[in-house]
Amino acid sequence: MNTQTEKPFESMSTEDLQRLVEVAQLVTAARDAMSDEIVTRMAGALSEGLTLLDRLTRNEGLMHLLKVLDRQDTQYLLIALSDAVHAASQEIPAAPPATGGLGCMMRVVRDPGTQEGIRLLSVVGKHLSHSLREQHRRGG
Amino acid sequence: MRILVVGGGTGGTIVANNLARRLSAEIRARKVRITMLSASDKHMYQPGLLYVAFGQMTPDQLYRDQASLLEGCIDFHVDPVEKFDLDQNKVTTKSGKVHEYDILVIATGSRIVPEQIPGLAEGAETFYSEASAVKMFKRLREIEEGTVAVVVGVPHKCPIAPVELIFGLHDYFKARGIRDKIKIKYHYPIGRIHTIKEVAIWAKPEFDRMGIEYETLFNVSEVDVENKVVRSEEGTETQYDMLIAIPPHRGMEVIEQNNLGEGGWIPTDRFKLTMNGHDNVYVLGDTTNLPVSKTGSAAHFEAEVVSENIASIVKIGVPVRDYDGKVYCFIETGHDSATYAMFNYQNPPDLKSPSKPMHWFKMAYNQMYWTSVRGLL
Repeated sequence: MNTQTEKPFESMSTEDLQRLVEVAQLVTAARDAMSDEIVTRMAGALSEGLTLLDRLTRNEGLMHLLKVLDRQDTQYLLIALSDAVHAASQEIPAAPPATGGLGCMMRVVRDPGTQEGIRLLSVVGKHLSHSLREQHRRGG
Repeated sequence: MRILVVGGGTGGTIVANNLARRLSAEIRARKVRITMLSASDKHMYQPGLLYVAFGQMTPDQLYRDQASLLEGCIDFHVDPVEKFDLDQNKVTTKSGKVHEYDILVIATGSRIVPEQIPGLAEGAETFYSEASAVKMFKRLREIEEGTVAVVVGVPHKCPIAPVELIFGLHDYFKARGIRDKIKIKYHYPIGRIHTIKEVAIWAKPEFDRMGIEYETLFNVSEVDVENKVVRSEEGTETQYDMLIAIPPHRGMEVIEQNNLGEGGWIPTDRFKLTMNGHDNVYVLGDTTNLPVSKTGSAAHFEAEVVSENIASIVKIGVPVRDYDGKVYCFIETGHDSATYAMFNYQNPPDLKSPSKPMHWFKMAYNQMYWTSVRGLL
């Protein structure tokens, strides 16, 4: 019996045995550092994480969005959108209150940036409407 | 195809969620509808009650909203069934609503009945409800010396519970530094210390090591609450300072009232898990009359077979799997070690030495349970 269990170790070098001891020390240290609370928290997070991952990966809309976001041009749009949200959040608090009236409206509408923005929204609206009709036609 | 699941415990929830996953295309195409009827909007992790009884968990950690555990496409109602009309393929609920079905899954569980033994409900602590587990913990904190007697009713939920309770008591009193002042006496109804032979063989030396007194062939006949004495049908008695009972249990009243099975246990095909005489009615968990443990683990493995078979009936017209009687039970052997027993109809358990990693596995499972009932594990 002894010969059988000792044989594998006999063929090992001192360095190999030293590495084994280090691994064993690592396992022992990890074991000593663990507690019921740590295991419970980790398992709880893993459990919720798995559930979330499952929901995300089975969400058809989200999966489609990820596919669309893989395209370079969509990513540019997303970057532009993030920049726009950031810039707007900076600009809005500093802008004077709107005076109202047609004159004010005309000034806003005359701005080329605003016109580009409205055009973008209308294009998005057109495609959104088309996509919704198409999905409805296919039965969801 | 209308699939109706009656009961929102471990088995019912896993079946409903597994079916929702397996039949998602059919549900989207409106060819299949899954409905669940349950008595509660809450789902309790029942094994956690033992931890509550030892102050290792608080009751709020045991609950989730049932709706949050179910797939969105499952039509869930808190409206327990009162009448089963199996020949007409319909059930009637407490609210009076009638649900028709093509396939019925009955997973109503079981209930403890300590009142079957005179004095047991009044005189013994138990841990089978939130209130009783908290009360037992408070009593454990109060006791300083004397005899703690453990008695076991027949039949009872989870066969491993009496053994786990003993290990837990030993470690609890040891941690409080009063183990030498407390005598723990274990009483078991058959001629050895556990119904599963392999568990009995493994537990006996452990009991001896911990200094547990035990008396076998002790079927509780009555509890004399005033004099703090528990008596057996065999004519013996034990004086106690604190009495803890694993109470007897029965199937749910609704099963008995509808004459679906004696004692509330529905006669079930051990392989197909269908109700005898009704091929479109599946039974699982505590509700069956099968010779397997009444545990969440058994309900889980049965639920996987039932859902796979129902899904295959919908898809190809025939079931594909048999239940092999598999049960996997963790056994907490104190507050920092555990082992497990795995067995099926053919193979008895082969118990391994308790270890700390197994205890952590159980601790982790207490959390992973929620992933499990969602049908993910």
